[in-house]
Amino acid sequence: MAIDMDVMLEKIKDRQWALADIDWDAPGAETISDEFRPRLKAFMADLCWIENVGARGFAAMAKKAPTPTLAEIYRYFHAEEQRHANAELALMKRWNMLEDDDEMPEPNVNIRLAIEWLDRYSDDMSLSMLGTVIPMLEVALDGALLKFLLEEVHDPVCHQVFEKINNDESRHIAVDFDVLNMIGHAKARKLSIEFVGNVATPGFIIGALTYVPLLNRMRNNIVGMGLEPERLYNAMRRFKQLGERGEYTWRVPTYQILKLHARMVVNPANPYHLVANPMVKLSDLYPKALLRPIPSWFKEITHRPAA
Amino acid sequence: MTREPGVQAQARNHTYATLIIGAGFSGLGAAIKLRQAGIDDVVILERGDRVGGTWRDNTYPGIACDIPSVLYSFSFVKNPEWSSAYPSGAEICQHIEDMATDFDLRRHIRFGMEVNGLGFDEKEGMWTATTLARKQFRARTVVFASGPLADSGFPDIRGIDTYRGHKIHSAQWDHDYDFTGKRIGVIGTGASAIQIVPELVKYAEFVKVFQRTPGWVLPRWNPATPQPVKDLYARVPAVQQLVRQALFWGHEASATALVWNTPLSSVMARLGKAHLRRAVKDPWLRRQLTPDFTPGCKRMLISSDYYPALQRDNCKLIDWPIATLSPSGVRTSDGVEHHLDCIVFATGYDVHLTGPPYPVTGLGGRSLNAEWAGGGQAYKSASAHGYPNMFFMTGPNSGPGHNSLLVYAEGQLDYAVQGIKTILDNDLRYLDVRAEVQRRYNNGIQKRLTKTTWMSGCSSWYLTKDGFNASMYPGFATQYLRQMRDFRYGDYHAVEQTADVLTGARKST
Repeated sequence: MAIDMDVMLEKIKDRQWALADIDWDAPGAETISDEFRPRLKAFMADLCWIENVGARGFAAMAKKAPTPTLAEIYRYFHAEEQRHANAELALMKRWNMLEDDDEMPEPNVNIRLAIEWLDRYSDDMSLSMLGTVIPMLEVALDGALLKFLLEEVHDPVCHQVFEKINNDESRHIAVDFDVLNMIGHAKARKLSIEFVGNVATPGFIIGALTYVPLLNRMRNNIVGMGLEPERLYNAMRRFKQLGERGEYTWRVPTYQILKLHARMVVNPANPYHLVANPMVKLSDLYPKALLRPIPSWFKEITHRPAA
Repeated sequence: MTREPGVQAQARNHTYATLIIGAGFSGLGAAIKLRQAGIDDVVILERGDRVGGTWRDNTYPGIACDIPSVLYSFSFVKNPEWSSAYPSGAEICQHIEDMATDFDLRRHIRFGMEVNGLGFDEKEGMWTATTLARKQFRARTVVFASGPLADSGFPDIRGIDTYRGHKIHSAQWDHDYDFTGKRIGVIGTGASAIQIVPELVKYAEFVKVFQRTPGWVLPRWNPATPQPVKDLYARVPAVQQLVRQALFWGHEASATALVWNTPLSSVMARLGKAHLRRAVKDPWLRRQLTPDFTPGCKRMLISSDYYPALQRDNCKLIDWPIATLSPSGVRTSDGVEHHLDCIVFATGYDVHLTGPPYPVTGLGGRSLNAEWAGGGQAYKSASAHGYPNMFFMTGPNSGPGHNSLLVYAEGQLDYAVQGIKTILDNDLRYLDVRAEVQRRYNNGIQKRLTKTTWMSGCSSWYLTKDGFNASMYPGFATQYLRQMRDFRYGDYHAVEQTADVLTGARKST
């Protein structure tokens, strides 16, 4: 069932919310124990930056969109991901996880690498490439992480915030998979030419090298928090399920690759992890001096409802 | 208000030879040209209390024209005194005031007369204009010179009525408001905004510029005119004429990049990007400011101080969509509420691509507003079938994307004067352009438009909601002027006072 994108855009405009809609001083912050706080802080920092990374992905998508309406939708999604990052930072502030007003959570090296990749290559990637990777990030990471958070954290404000975030995300995912289906509708020749053209680029290769350890590090962090990796795996399976609903999605080569990759990831016994796990460790050794300066879009995150 | 009692006294039952709507550049230009052609029985209806039109109404800080004034002026109104290449709006307005005085036009003008209806009496061959002040004016011919950018209003943005701070529209500037130390939001990044922002950052505590679509910006070189040059222009007008010619042909050449979507359009894009690279250091800000439409599709912006202004410590470009206005400011979709003391709406004009904002009734009671609901259509931008004895200035498909509007207006003036003289000299009841001539002309125009940058996929004020281009002329100014010099009587249906129908074709044989 194709979505009427004009109707979707109107719906998006109707459902906008702001940090100011939430009472950040309402009771409930005390439910976070001192013992839990540092672990939750690391988790929230990751989450926050992943939203920010997703936001940058949508910014790239907006430039590729085949119609002005879809471009406008992606423009909103870009902002909404940023809003989620802002709201999550505001939660961190509420839970006293930020030392001073201007403290930003430190992104881990894999996030830094992902940011570098996005900044450098994402604008040159094709819609089919971006259109597949972004839903995977949204379904897998957001899906798994958010569910976990809501089970572990009993602060009502947190639940209020994530209800809003989840509503936004469900629209993102609906559009993502609709577009993926649309991409699959293209001529096979076009799909394959585009795919080959993309795979042969340093952008794709470096992107893959960035994505593999990022995912495994996330898994490690989740496990470190006491979550069964199954949660992440289930979320990744959802990528396949949602993709199967589309009539033409299966024809998108990148979708097939990511699906195959997801199958390897969700099986802890798969030899894939013999490569992926050391990559996480290797990335820790990545010389900091080689990291490029953090781009200015990365610093736009704010926990302040008013500016 | 009127200085000449004669005009007022004869107003009640008098039938003017020509009624001109608007005392801006084109309205006054029409009066000058008509008088030069020997038609003195002219009345100009002006809704304001001063001449100047758009240049009188727009007084925002930094206002200037984006075409050098030597070219953005009438060739038959000399002004050797332009202070610089792109003088301020106030100077342009003063030039229009001087025009009215020097050519003794004020005696023709009725100020405070806002037209709210026009109807043609077929039997009498007479147009009647009604005004808000309940006055009526009758004339045999009408020149429609209300200008394309005469009306403006606050845009339809969510929550605009809830905002409790101060609101200013760029076209209706509030000179009493003190920006010093205030937090200001500017909505829009078009031609007005890029002139306003560099001024506001000088006084305001903070300026936030809310952008939807970035435009192509080329640097502006605005040298002051040295006194010896002014003296030379005054002594030897041919020199200024030569400069005007050079500017004209320079702008004409740019049509090959700005009007048609050609390889030169991408050269123009490269120039724009080079300017951006030189002026903006931060790659992300540069990305935000990089347009993704073909240069020319929306009007090129000319500024050397917009990019530097955006990078000042007290200025910030906000690229997030506006979710809504709130009582205290602007909420953007990233969830942040921007608290603002004042919002400046640099959101453009209510461009009447579908006809004037009041009823115009032609032959047999037909309605121009109904016929133009999908976008205006006329013959050579000047005449519309069914609305005889009426001549449009800046009419449908007369807009230049690369050259001076006033160059085009001169063509329209010549055309209107030829038409009006034909009607008056032959004592015609009316002269109406033939339907098939108009249709053929528009088919040609629309076909030619398909190859232009304006139709290359961006959304602009040149197009109606349905994407119909009723505003721009797809060609060089030279082509446009050539067609306007050529008034073909045979293209019109002429009706004599005696009611004997004479076709133009028959009469001309």
